[in-house]
Amino acid sequence: MGEMEQLRKEAESLKDQITAARKAVQDSTLQEAAAGITVVGRIQMKTRKTLRGHLAKIYAMHWSTDSKLCVSASQDGKLIVWDSVTTNKVNAIPLKSSWVMTCAYAPSGNLVACGGLDNMCSIYNLKGKDGNVKVMRELAAHTGYLSCCRFISDTEIITSSGDCTCILWDIETGTQKTVFAGHQGDCMSLAVAPDFKFFISGACDFTAKLWDIREGTCRQTFGGHESDVNAIGFFPNGNAVITGSDDATCKLFDLRADQELITYQDSSIMCGVTSLAPSMSGRLLLAGYDDFNVNIWDMLKAERVGKYMWKLYIPLENGRKVDPAEDSEGSSRVAVGTEH
Amino acid sequence: MSSVNQEEEELPANHTGPKGVINDWRRYKLDSVDQTVPQKKRELLRQMSNPRDDDKERQNRKMSAQEYELIQEEDERCLKRYRKQCMQEMHERLSFGPKFECVHELESGEAFLEVIEKEHRLTLVVVHIYQHGVKGCEQMNSCLDCLAAEYPTVKFCRIDAVATGAAERFSSEVLPTLLVYKAGELLGNFLAITKHFNEEFFATDVEGFLNEYGLLSEKEFSACADDEDDAGEVE
Repeated sequence: MGEMEQLRKEAESLKDQITAARKAVQDSTLQEAAAGITVVGRIQMKTRKTLRGHLAKIYAMHWSTDSKLCVSASQDGKLIVWDSVTTNKVNAIPLKSSWVMTCAYAPSGNLVACGGLDNMCSIYNLKGKDGNVKVMRELAAHTGYLSCCRFISDTEIITSSGDCTCILWDIETGTQKTVFAGHQGDCMSLAVAPDFKFFISGACDFTAKLWDIREGTCRQTFGGHESDVNAIGFFPNGNAVITGSDDATCKLFDLRADQELITYQDSSIMCGVTSLAPSMSGRLLLAGYDDFNVNIWDMLKAERVGKYMWKLYIPLENGRKVDPAEDSEGSSRVAVGTEH
Repeated sequence: MSSVNQEEEELPANHTGPKGVINDWRRYKLDSVDQTVPQKKRELLRQMSNPRDDDKERQNRKMSAQEYELIQEEDERCLKRYRKQCMQEMHERLSFGPKFECVHELESGEAFLEVIEKEHRLTLVVVHIYQHGVKGCEQMNSCLDCLAAEYPTVKFCRIDAVATGAAERFSSEVLPTLLVYKAGELLGNFLAITKHFNEEFFATDVEGFLNEYGLLSEKEFSACADDEDDAGEVE
């Protein structure tokens, strides 16, 4: 028992050292630095398109890099690829399992992936020879539900799971390249850095972790949230991380300063954040809450500048130009927002 | 099917995200369990849906080992029935609340504040600020009279700019103005709203305008529910 106690003390002292080191480099707060910047003003969001076709709740959606096509996954057991400009359905892919939690579009536009309670990540080839979309690979190894997946390329994909790990897969062989273990709770979401060298994961251990994809190691851990981190995203320039949690707040962490810069919260907001997306400029943060509202935050001043009342669920993803995209379930609609 | 309370706070479960999927799956399992399933199993299912707070170890893990075992080949019929239930619940959830029949006239600034602050938190409040003689106000009033009849869950009101006690703020350039509130929060602020319409506009124009901002979408739900019964193929 003596050894445990010793180790525990050592861990505590290390934590204190880290906190002290972080404080030492903190020469200002984001509020102070942004004090001179003009306010953004009220943001009024407008529906540009409504994509109808799903017959049940839409659980997830993801934009293609061309910002024109997007894929959505629904409880009706279908993956639909949409042309958001014409609102046509490009593909309708039947899934084996209805309990899908995530879907992803490969940067090349050739593949889409999805996964959920089946603990697997299924990869589909959209550009097959005969024109039919078929399952290309079923990546199975996780012992927990698949909460999120994101492509690095046509040959690699990263998944996060309820088994507390993230995995980098080789799609061609269907095998695991690297297992990123370290979280103490279910991994709920992940985001890949703009340079594809790192990725971040948010988990039910209240932390977010930054991982080096090639090395397979955890570089940084960000704490501060008082509950599960459900949503996570990179700031557009890749130097900061935004997290959304069940504690009803979003936080901005700077990677180089290795600490929290600001918290986006309001006493009137009492339910968890389940998805988020920064605008392309990085000035605005759209956060989707569990009460079916989307709050728009001025990222620099930490003030709410808009509220979009969607009735339903919203997984957010960054869309064309500076447009954020929203998704809603129940009424089986996907709405694309614009402005800013 | 247990009725869905507005608060739904018996279970601190999420409606959205992966946790939302887990929650939906649990409810589906509970509902689809037929009476031939042994009592013990049903109890187990019920227990799993109500994680206790004192179980710290449990808190970080959202699904138990037993639950993973229960995920097997799903009965398509059950699923379809469940989905329909989900949709119905959502409709009910959103049309719950007081119903109104016509446009209410607000007599004073206080009445205006009261209607914004005191209405049911699910009720959308649309306030039209008008003034006699200002172009478009009379047309807007008749449009809103129509819409008030079509959207009984929305509270449409109107107030004379003079009665607000802040007439100087509402000069004829910004009238008619439409303000939209819900649960005390301003969702839409449309000054001189008629600049978005033609000289002659109708209830459908106003309806379409408000729909663009996602404010009046409730009516479309009934249309979607009927699609459920179509063949599974998405063309």
